[in-house]
Order: sequence, then structure tokens, then C-alpha cells
Amino acid sequence: MAITILAPAPPPAPAHNRRVSTDDEDDLDIDDLPSGHATHSTNIITPGQTVTDDVQWMRGHGTFAEADSTAIRSTLAGTLQKTNKLLSIVPLRARYTPEIGDLVIGRIVEVQSRRWKVDVAAPLLANLLLSSINLPGGILRKRTSVDELNIRSFFGEGELLVAEVQSLFQDGSASLHTRSLKYGKLRNGYFMAVSGMGGGSGVVRAKRQIFTMQTARGGEVDVLLGVNGYIWIAKHVEEEQETVGINRLEETASAKMYSSQNDEISLETRREISKIAGCIRALVDGGVKVEEERIRWAYDANLELDETEGETEYLGGERGKAIVEIVLGGG
Amino acid sequence: MANTIPLSPAELSYLHTSLSQTPPIRPDGRSPTQFRPLVAETDILPSANGSARICFADGTEAIVGVKAEVEKSSARPGATTDDIFKNSRDQDGDVDVDREESDKEGKGRDEWLEIAIEIPGMRDDDSLPVFLSAMLTEALLSDGGLKDRLWINSRFHWRLYIDILLLSQPRSYPLPLLSLTTHLALISTRIPALISEHDEDPLFNDDWEASTFLYPRSGELQARSKPPVTLLVVSIGEAVLFDPSRDELAVCDSAMAISVAQSAGAGLKVVALRMIDPPSRLTAGGVPQVLNSTSNPAATASLSPAEALVLREKDQGQTVWRPPRGGVRRAIISRIIKMVVENNGVGEEVIAGLAGVEA
Amino acid sequence: MPLDTSTYSLAHLRVDGRRWNELRRVHGQISTQAAADGSSYFEMGNTKIICTIAGPQEQRRGGNSGQSHDAKVEVEIGIAGFSGVDRKRRGRNDKRIQEMQHAIASAFTHTLFTHLYPHSTITIHLHVLSQDGALLAACINAATLALIDAGIPMSDYTAACTTGSTASYASNDEAADPLLDLNSMEEQELPFLTLGTSGGDDQVSLLIMETRVQATRLEAMVSVGLDGCRQIRSLLDGIVRAHGKKVLEARVT
Repeated sequence: MAITILAPAPPPAPAHNRRVSTDDEDDLDIDDLPSGHATHSTNIITPGQTVTDDVQWMRGHGTFAEADSTAIRSTLAGTLQKTNKLLSIVPLRARYTPEIGDLVIGRIVEVQSRRWKVDVAAPLLANLLLSSINLPGGILRKRTSVDELNIRSFFGEGELLVAEVQSLFQDGSASLHTRSLKYGKLRNGYFMAVSGMGGGSGVVRAKRQIFTMQTARGGEVDVLLGVNGYIWIAKHVEEEQETVGINRLEETASAKMYSSQNDEISLETRREISKIAGCIRALVDGGVKVEEERIRWAYDANLELDETEGETEYLGGERGKAIVEIVLGGG
Repeated sequence: MANTIPLSPAELSYLHTSLSQTPPIRPDGRSPTQFRPLVAETDILPSANGSARICFADGTEAIVGVKAEVEKSSARPGATTDDIFKNSRDQDGDVDVDREESDKEGKGRDEWLEIAIEIPGMRDDDSLPVFLSAMLTEALLSDGGLKDRLWINSRFHWRLYIDILLLSQPRSYPLPLLSLTTHLALISTRIPALISEHDEDPLFNDDWEASTFLYPRSGELQARSKPPVTLLVVSIGEAVLFDPSRDELAVCDSAMAISVAQSAGAGLKVVALRMIDPPSRLTAGGVPQVLNSTSNPAATASLSPAEALVLREKDQGQTVWRPPRGGVRRAIISRIIKMVVENNGVGEEVIAGLAGVEA
Repeated sequence: MPLDTSTYSLAHLRVDGRRWNELRRVHGQISTQAAADGSSYFEMGNTKIICTIAGPQEQRRGGNSGQSHDAKVEVEIGIAGFSGVDRKRRGRNDKRIQEMQHAIASAFTHTLFTHLYPHSTITIHLHVLSQDGALLAACINAATLALIDAGIPMSDYTAACTTGSTASYASNDEAADPLLDLNSMEEQELPFLTLGTSGGDDQVSLLIMETRVQATRLEAMVSVGLDGCRQIRSLLDGIVRAHGKKVLEARVT
């Protein structure tokens, strides 16, 4: 059917009991809560709520203490997280906040004289300095004024790149760098954005954010999961390795790393890329956190369903729900 | 449609090539005529004559409220006293309902319909709201039936206000969302039933159950009484795509808005066709490998600007992305019109789908 | 037609059947729009507001000359043409709307932790679908819910409601009683004020009055208003908790 129109979800039943029971929250015994990530907690803390009066605790992210009192109060709606003596609140939903070491995918929004401003779905734009990128050919030299004039030949407006957060400025904005072979300009693929972290679904910080999948008919496909919720799915291309002599111990960067020219991508690979994108969307719609294992399970589940139910290109709606069920059931 | 960050040349080239295949490979795997699922409901505003809300799968949402108010008609220049005092009684002295309806023909006026569009972050005189409201008004007034139904008697008429609110940021072109929501709101709009007769001051039935639908659902006018629907269609190479997502809109060769309404006989007719400036024309072209100064600095340093231009033109967008040039072929336009208007085509499916939305 | 307030003393019922200190039916939903950073839908009687938040994000156009140390809170209110009984289109330059926008922006600038997001902007969009009194109060409550949904840290809920007095300015009526949560008919006839509290212990963060009332009546109105805001705060808290519970239960590790 060409057009599917769904009925709206019914509004939640009005609370018959208007009085909010505060008995259990008042006696919140924090010592009893398990330390570490409170992923299984169902205790909601709301803004303004006093978390504890005890002076032994230190305030972390999401809490504040008024000037004249030792009580620690929450500023967000979320769950409590204890790490040693530090109390912090993990919000139910928030914009991505950069941390040092995060692998992020960003888009250039502004080109300035010696750096770029990059959109990483954070409250502030991230900075990428000209001195933080690799020059093609692995050359190590000081950036000259010629480089500054040619800055757009490296990255222009709108271009995508994968980078790591090197440091944070005073105001919380990130400084990125691409000083590794696996970082740099992105091409040969498809970009998608899922909602930010800290929420019900989003990209998790895992050990492997970049991985390669072997697809059924399309060869190898790289999947890059940026912690900020931006995802890049591309055809895997083997870089020609120049021989590394003993005298050149630094990593060699390919001469083509700043090219915007796509390589030849077959039709099958394109279909596989859009299937993987559909799997990721199905996971997000089903409220599952996006990470490597789950994506592989979802892809395999889709292949299974293709065999049993017939092949379909569109992975939303019914097929998406079926995929999520299989993934939740244990792959 | 500017103000958004453009995609990179590599992405644009990838999308364009994928979509130019036969069959086109859309990023989410849909077929060319498949719409994304949407959530729709009507009659959400009890204080309006008609209302609807539609929420697309990408989170964009719109609410439309229709209100009707009685207004005194100004005298039309050139109207004779015979026209003004013409009554519609036949010899028996009974009022003939069908004749009354047909007497209204041609009496409606364009200014009795007012459409106002509100988009967050934009002023009322920005180009997008003005253009969208002009397109929707043009489509609604095209068949003349609507404004004729607003005529009460020679001294009074209904003035119909359609207020369209776009609730989310306008990330992709909001025309299809607003048009579908307006259609849904109009088919559920009811006006109070008229009790008074002829040219006396209008008096209406207080009972809302007795009110009539603005677009009647029964009777001989039912076939001709559906508001128009405007669809956004893009063409990329030889492929034609309906309900384009933001990515597809960013790489299309041409985009058009086609408004269809039910015609007097069975079937649909095109009431308006407008070309829309695709955002792909505002993108910068990619730099092909041969001209990339970072990859072959030696070769490019010696090229003069004229030589570089020749190389780029010869490339013709094969290796890297080039913004589309020129217009769209007539064959593609006629193919689009056919796909929308034919029996069981896209237009009929959309209208039938909306009609099935229960209040 | 003018409201007959002679029967409005403490013991009697108002036009809609409420007593002098009863709130109207309050209903709210949080996270109603997936595409926005934060969103909410709030109803106070027949006043219906949709609120969406964009931000905090860096403003790309028209950068300020100096780097500010705090986030800027911007409010945009759009009152739909179909919101009142008569259809009336209000432009953005309407003075009343501008004043409401400014009041809401300054109320939230004090409770939000804006120093955490230097030189970025938080934009609050309010869409009024239907108005039947308590417009500013409902806007503030809707914005509070949406800001919580967006994960923007704040020191406490900002809850608001309206209170009024049964005596008009001229009458020296000793038996004037305070009223809680006026609907639009009552607002047209009687003096009323909008009260917003934040931070518990009855700390008033916003008080706006556009009509005139004798100074002696003010204390009674404010104390009734504080009680009403307390009720509203616990209702807002309940909405957030119910939503949070739903999200956590649906969440998969």
C-alpha cells in the first residue's frame, strides 16, 4: 500500500490519585543503591528534589547545592548514579555532551582562518584546528600560510569527518583531532543521525565504534558509530599501503584522503547499505541502544526474515518491529 | 530552503547515483510511490469548526484549525436588482434544495477564504509562508465549489479562516505535510445549519448535531466534494519519487508540487502544478581527483584557471557531484501527472487513506 | 454577557461549578514531539498549549560581538487564530505578546543553570491552541515541562497559576473573596494576577498583574495563589515521574 496512516497513540490515563506519594522518596537511602551505572534503577529523581543531606557525598553532574545548605538537590529529571563518593544524575534525555576520547562524526559548518567549526550535535560547536589534521602523504611539517589559504581544499563547508575529542575548552566545547589513519574525511557512503545520548535510545560508548560487516551480497561495509548519535555507513575500501621504511616510522597517510570523489560502488553494496541503515532505524524506533553486536544481530535477523517472509526493501513498520523482537529475544 | 547545512559532495554524489538507478535505491528502502507512515487525527479542537493534526515519521508535526464566521457581503459591482432579490421558490412555493445549491453557483468570491500559515522562527512575510499559503489557496479555490458553498444569501456569507500551524522546525519542505493536514481538517469541517430563509438575517440551528459538513458526504454533490491534495514529487535522472525525505530533496534534479482534486466525473484532475527550486542547485560541486590540490599538488599547480575549468566541464559530474543544470523534461512531467491522476494511482490512494481517518 | 458575581462569595459555586479555591482540570504530557530537543503539551481547563524547545545550540546567524558567559533564553509565542471564540490573528509584534515573552524569558533565566552553556541559545516555542484564561500561567507550566524533557538543568520547577478577587476596584466591598484559577469570562470582569513560584518554601519568581485591585486584597490573593502553585507543582512532578517511569521500564540495557 502506498500510504499508511496510523491512529495516534492514546493519551496516558489521567492519574486518579492526584497526591504524589512521597514516602519512599523521602527516605532515599543512598547507601543501599548499587554503585556504578544505575541502569536498572526505576527511581526517578526530579528537578529540585533533595537527594541527600549527608555531607559525605560529593556533587557530580546534574546536582547543585544552595549557598546556605548542605543538601544536595537535583537539577535534572533522571536516575541517580553513584561512583564511590560522587553522586550524579543521569538525565532521561539530553543533548550530547562531549568527553575526552569520544569518537564523533561531525559536519563542518564554518571555515575560519586557521580552524574549522564542526557540528557534533552538542550545545556548542566543536573546533578542529588546522594543526590537528594529517597532511596528505604523511608529511610532517609546520602549517604555513599557504595551507591557511588553501584551507578549503582540506575540508569545506558541509563535509563530513570522523574525529576524536582531544580536549575540552573552558566553556565545554570540544577540540577535535584527526591524527590517525582511521580518522579523516568520509566518503563512499551514507549518513544518518539518531537521537542524542543519555536518552532511551542512542549510541553507546563501546570499545569498538568502527567495525566492518560482511554483508550477504554486497561485499564489506564499514559502519562508524559516532558517540554523538551520528552514524556513517560506507563501502569498505582497502587503502594501498605504502611500504613503511625504518626511517619513516610515522603512519603514512594516503594521498587521496582529502578527495571528495567516491569510488565505484556496486548496486548490491548500495542496497546493503540502505538495509543496514534500515536495521539501525528499526533498533532506534524500538528503543534499543545502538551498538555493534545489536546491529549485527539485527542484520542477521533481517536475513532470516527475508528467507521466511520474503524479501522486502523497506524495513520500517512491521518488518522493523519483527527485527527488534528477534534482537531482544537474544539474537 | 536555505539556512540548512549542505551535505558533503561525496554524500550528494552517492545519493544521486543510488537514486538514479532503475529501480531507484532509496536510503530507507521504500518504493518510489511509497509514503512514510504518518499519524493522523481529526476533531482535536472543540472550539473550531474543523481541525486535524498530522505527524510524519521524521517527527515533523502540523495542526490545522478551520473557523467560519458570518460576514456581511459587500455589493458586487454590476449586480442588478433582479439578481439580489431572486428567490429560489418554485411554483408550489416550496424551497427546492437542489435548486438552491445550484443557485449558489458562481456567487462565491475568492476573498471569502483566508489561509494563514505560521512557521516557528519565521516571520509572516518571509518567502516560505507566503509561497506556501499562495499555493494552498490557489488549489482550494480552483474548483469554485468551496467558495460557492460559503454563500448564505445575498447579504451574508461565511468567511472561512484556515489557520495552519507547523509545530516543528521546517527541516524539510513542509508543503505535503501542511496540505494533507489541511485536507483532513476541511473534510471534517462542519457549519451550523441555516434556519432562516432568503435574505433575512441569518439564523442558525443551535444543535451542533444538525450541522452540515462543508464538503458534503452524501447527496449528488458528494462526488465533487473533496478538497484538493498537494503532493511533493521529485525527479532524479529518470526516476520519479514521491514523499521525498530531506536527503532525497537535497540531490533531486527537480522538484514540483502537484495539486489534484476530484473532478466532476469520476477520477482526479490536476488543479495546480508548481516547480520548486531544489536545494541541490545551491550546493557546491565536488573537486575531482585530477584537480585536487592536496592529492596531486605538482600537477594542479601548473594548471591555469582556464584549463581547470575545461577539465571540470569535461568531467560532467561523472566522478564527483555537480549541481544540476537546466530544467526537467516534459516526458517526466507527463509521467508524474499520469502516476498521480490515474485510477488507483497515488492521488487516489492518498485521498482514500485520509478519508479513512476516523474522528 | 457580564458575569454575575453576586453569587461568588466563598460558599457558593462559580459559573463552571467550582468553588473559590479549586483549580480546573490540569493535564500534561511530556516528550510529545520526537523531532524537538524537548517538548510538552499542557492543558489547564480549556487552555491548551504546546511547547517545543530548540537548544541549547550555538546561534550561527548574527553572532554577538562579545562572548557571553551564559546561555540566552529566547521565547516565541504564537497564538493560533482559532484559539479564541472569535477568530483573531495576532501578529508577532503585538505588545502583549512581547511582554509575555519577556516575562517568561526572564523567569526562566533565573531558574535555569545558564552558566553551563556559555554563548549558546535556548529557544522556547509556545503554541497556544486554545485559550480560556490563565494564558501566561499555562505557558510557564508547559515550558517547565518541556525544559525538563530537554534535559536542561534547573534549580526547581516553575509552577504558575492565576488568582483574582471578586471585588472590582471601585466597590468597597468588605466581603470580597479571593478566587483561584480564573477562566476567560472571569478574567474579563474581575481583577486577577498571574503568580509563579520556584524553589519551594513559597518563593515567588513571577508576579504579573494587568488589572487594578485595592492593595488590601492583595495579600489574600497571593496566599491563595501560593497554595495553588504548590498544587500545580505537585501535578507537574507527577507528570514527569509518570513519564520517567514509562521510559525506564521500556528501556533495554
